[in-house]
Amino acid sequence: MGAVTYPDERVAKFLSLNFVPVQMQTTNTELMSKYSVSWTPTLLVLDADGKEHYRAVGFFTPDDMIATFMTAKARWALDTDQLEDARALFEEVIACYPDKDAAAEATFFLGVARYKVAHDPKALRETYDLLKDKFPHSSWTKQADHYRLISK
Amino acid sequence: MALEICWLDNLAKAQETARQLKKPILLDFYNPM
Repeated sequence: MGAVTYPDERVAKFLSLNFVPVQMQTTNTELMSKYSVSWTPTLLVLDADGKEHYRAVGFFTPDDMIATFMTAKARWALDTDQLEDARALFEEVIACYPDKDAAAEATFFLGVARYKVAHDPKALRETYDLLKDKFPHSSWTKQADHYRLISK
Repeated sequence: MALEICWLDNLAKAQETARQLKKPILLDFYNPM
C-alpha cells in the first residue's frame, strides 16, 4: 500500500479530502486488541466517537482503493443518517467504477438508502433486479435474494 | 510537488479533527517490516 497505492496522486487526493487519515503500527497492541485486528493491512472507517462502520483487509490497487473507500464513506454516511450524502456517493461509485466489486455493494446499499428515504419496499425489489442483472455472481446479489419476494 | 497523505498517529487527535470537520476516520493498521 505504501509503495504503490498511497503515493498515487488520485488516492492521496481522495483520502485527504474525504477522511481524517490515521496510521498505526502493529506495535500498538492496545488499539489492535480494541478493534480485534489480527492481520495487516487492515483498514477501518470510524466515526468521531471511534465506532467502526467499515472494515477491509488486504491490499488495494489505486482504483479499487478509491471505489472501496468511496463506498465505505457512503456506508458511514448511511449509518449516521446523512441519507442524501450516502445516496450521492453510492451513485458516484456505480457511475465511475461500474466493473469494480464495490459497485455491487454500492448498488445494494443505494437500495437501502432509497428505502430509508421513501419507506417504499419497491426500492428493494428494484435493487434485487438490478443486482441480478448486473452482478449475477456477487455475494451482494445473494444477500438481496429475499427482496425478490417483494412485488413489483 | 506531489500531494501526499498527511497521516496522523494519534487516534484521539483524529477523533477531535473528525468531529470538527464532520468527516470519518480512515484507520490503517500496518506492519512496517
